[in-house]
Amino acid sequence: MPPPEHRLNITPAGIPRATILIVPPLFDEANRLRRTLALAMRALAADGFAAVLPDLPGQNESLVALDAVDLEQWQDALATVAAGIDGPVVIASVRGGTLLDHRANAAAWWRLAPVGGASLLRTMMRARVTADRQAGIESSLDSLQEAAKTAPLLLAGNLLSAAMVAQLGSADARPVAPLRSIGLGADGIAGTPLWLRAEPGEDAAMASAIAADISAWIQTCGIS
Amino acid sequence: MTDSTTVDATLRALLADVLGLGEERAAALTVDSGLFGELPEFDSMAVATVLTEMEDRLGILIDDDEIDGEIFETYGNLLAFSQRKVAD
Repeated sequence: MPPPEHRLNITPAGIPRATILIVPPLFDEANRLRRTLALAMRALAADGFAAVLPDLPGQNESLVALDAVDLEQWQDALATVAAGIDGPVVIASVRGGTLLDHRANAAAWWRLAPVGGASLLRTMMRARVTADRQAGIESSLDSLQEAAKTAPLLLAGNLLSAAMVAQLGSADARPVAPLRSIGLGADGIAGTPLWLRAEPGEDAAMASAIAADISAWIQTCGIS
Repeated sequence: MTDSTTVDATLRALLADVLGLGEERAAALTVDSGLFGELPEFDSMAVATVLTEMEDRLGILIDDDEIDGEIFETYGNLLAFSQRKVAD
């Protein structure tokens, strides 16, 4: 058994009103948003909530090799984290994180800018094709898709197992309840899609807006 | 979304989001502004992200074989490509 994964825990003074389990975006997008998510966690803690951001097996400080895991194992890992938390759990997932959050037990779910796995996979495959072309290697989305059926595929620095590629290709966020699903903009969170940004940035105002929206949703659900 | 001004505005906003250009730099892009190879932020992952976002925001589908180096050479080339795809 590999050791348990590292978690970023930010706790309030006193007993938490509830614990917010943060499911970050996947791969590069997680790095680009991490700073803003950490700021949102601090804002949640200031509002009396505990906030937990776990490493997925094969990501960040994990000792597990990325090509040894797949999407279903990530879903199970999150379910295990949720099951180990005392008191009410509210899951807040972002982008590709929304593909992982349905197996865990929670009192409520909050999703920001959900994205299908096929779209994430397509972007990473395109980055590989573009990089290949610069190196004078012919590749295409089709040839990569074919290669991924039998062997791990290196996409934008991520060595993905055949199972991961197959599962990502057909993954969509699953129904959960009660759920608040929102995007960016006038009807959602004010801010820019930092997860797309070529160079990581941060947005404290966006982090506060995220925390405030999660907090309001928890009250609407009558959880705390 | 077929209006050419809308395509231009969508594309500028998209490049601002992906490259972190800020509104001013995005608004200052001209048809001759160099992109891939000229803006340091524009790496292969950024190219891929721009393509996926173009599909989402402009409601188009871009095939592998439609993408050559020229599209990303200048803002004008990218805009012309987008407008052609939207009109299709």
